[in-house]
Amino acid sequence: MNAPDRYERFVVPEGTKKVSYERDTKIINAASFTIEREDHTVGNILRMQLHRDPNVLFAGYKLPHPLQYKIIVRIHTTSQSSPMQAYNQAINDLDKELDHLKNGFETEMAKHSREF
Amino acid sequence: MDGGMSYQRFPKVKIREMKDDMVKFELRETDASVANALRRVMIAEVPTVAIDLVEIEVNSSVLNDEFIAHRLGLIPLTSDRAMSMRFSRDCDACDGDGQCEFCSVEFHLRAKCLTDQTLDVTSKDLYSSDHTVVPVEFSDPNDPGEQRGIIIVKLRRGQELRLRAIARKGIGKDHAKWSPAATVTFMYEPMIRINEDLMDTLSLEEKRTWIESSPTKVFDLDPVTQQVVVVEPELYTYDDEVIKKADAMGKSGLVEIEAKEDSFIFTVESTGAIKASQLVLNAIEILKQKLDAVRLSDDTVEADDQFGELGAHLRGG
Repeated sequence: MNAPDRYERFVVPEGTKKVSYERDTKIINAASFTIEREDHTVGNILRMQLHRDPNVLFAGYKLPHPLQYKIIVRIHTTSQSSPMQAYNQAINDLDKELDHLKNGFETEMAKHSREF
Repeated sequence: MDGGMSYQRFPKVKIREMKDDMVKFELRETDASVANALRRVMIAEVPTVAIDLVEIEVNSSVLNDEFIAHRLGLIPLTSDRAMSMRFSRDCDACDGDGQCEFCSVEFHLRAKCLTDQTLDVTSKDLYSSDHTVVPVEFSDPNDPGEQRGIIIVKLRRGQELRLRAIARKGIGKDHAKWSPAATVTFMYEPMIRINEDLMDTLSLEEKRTWIESSPTKVFDLDPVTQQVVVVEPELYTYDDEVIKKADAMGKSGLVEIEAKEDSFIFTVESTGAIKASQLVLNAIEILKQKLDAVRLSDDTVEADDQFGELGAHLRGG
């Protein structure tokens, strides 16, 4: 049997970086981030969060091929920011949003367990 | 470098209904990407425990070994401990063959039919080595008093099934048997506005036929005032039938329906492996972990800083 292991879809192989960064050689303040073993779940929330940043001129992601388990996030910013700064900011903001969501859900759960 | 503006959102949650195997809640002030990420994580990335390895000692039943092994895998096991367990592929206390307390649970099943009565072998015949990981309780909704197991195979006189099984932690992305979600859906909250002036131009009979044109009972006639009222906006399935009907009646703009793009109604149903409310919390936690994993590593940033200097130099800076 030569079937690839199923976990290859979501476990980053040894010696490979989870995120690699590549600057655009032609456009200033533009870069691509290659994220290994991620899909639309992370790609789409990152993209939408990046769109909230007014310094981001372009943000998009693609899943190059369904059998290549990686996504490419491309960011172009104004000179007030940088792709790396925007990327980090987006992750931090999403992280805080999820913290807020978690607290909100827990308080609601407590409210409901008291009622019954 | 960081410490600039924050573009964070503060979503609001309201739980409408909470049962062990089902929650219904409203999620507001965020966008579809977050709602969809949560849904995807609940289905495919929240870990549970499920039978993954089966060693069959005796099987003289009518089903073949792999068929039974597959059926065993699909039995939901209580997985409250799964979040703190290890995946057996990165467990260092064992060789990954899954026989240690950190990453696996062993099950035994012994059944033999000795009578002329058909013997049902069910999930209740599975004996677990760990009382926290057992097949889920399952009862008939029409007869909630009695706990019935999930049938694995039926044996007739003389047939026997004896096996050892190992359950491991896993995620739905690997195999659907590890998915804790039976169904997870979300819908946009509909905003339905009736143009009352135009509605008043309709006769009672016209109102009735218009109400009837909706496949779901979204609208009804007020028995006192004889006016059309929205009774259950969430039953609307975005089918456009009432809009088409209004157009056909020559009353375009009779009703205006829009989907609120920052307001979602979630329905989460669990297989019983974990409580539905816990499923939502675990999904938020997993999503946070995923985001944390995609942060840039220090060496990537450092390499770019050097590149930046070089670039600035080349540009004549």
